[in-house]
Amino acid sequence: MEKPILTENSIRIPSSQEFLVDVDSFLETRLEKMGVEKPTIADIAISVTEIVNNAIVHGNKSVFEKAVTIEVTHHNSDIIIIVADEGDGFDPEKIENPIEDGNLLKEVGRGVFITRALMDEVDIDAKPGRPTRVTLVKHI
Amino acid sequence: MNLSDFEQSGVIVLEPKGKIMGGPDATILHERLHELIEQGKKKFVIDLSRVEWMNSTGLGILISGLTTLRNNNGELKIANVTEKIKSLLIITKLATVFEAYDTVEDAIQSF
Repeated sequence: MEKPILTENSIRIPSSQEFLVDVDSFLETRLEKMGVEKPTIADIAISVTEIVNNAIVHGNKSVFEKAVTIEVTHHNSDIIIIVADEGDGFDPEKIENPIEDGNLLKEVGRGVFITRALMDEVDIDAKPGRPTRVTLVKHI
Repeated sequence: MNLSDFEQSGVIVLEPKGKIMGGPDATILHERLHELIEQGKKKFVIDLSRVEWMNSTGLGILISGLTTLRNNNGELKIANVTEKIKSLLIITKLATVFEAYDTVEDAIQSF
């Protein structure tokens, strides 16, 4: 796969941050069609780009050939987004708290924290040795 | 994201425009900021009025500029912070770290 592959409900990208703009564009188009308001679209886009960044860098270790897949569905008043990588997983217990004094000025490590604040539900299905799948839910 | 900058009263004002989400666009802001720091510039204002939103990559770039400048007796301030970015700064407690001003002029005058 050289470029993103789009379907009506999903986008699949190679592991490069250059494709984050494609993910954002896909989300905006898809969520606008679902009638989601602009500020909520921004919250979802911020959260999804955080998780996709993690999937590219920490999950797939920026190996271009490994894909990240983002699926968006609408169920009653919930927007459900699933982000799946093809990496070797990690231990979610090891995620540090970015607002602790010693971490406050670190340049990285805020993605999951911000995502938990902006989304209504965040489920991280991760274990060392297998791909990670993150489910995000926003009530609209 | 697009980026422009100018100098006024010895203060560099950076004007990113669009979304800061990671990838090549965010690198432009990071590289320009550090290029100017390496040239010896010490006073910076980042005008956030045209930034639709940013994620933690954008926050990381601001932190990187701030800490590099403070280690070199410089300072980075932010101006025109939109509600969306303000809420992120509060969530991450970075509102306690950055000096924020309502206008670029106020930020420049504060040096």
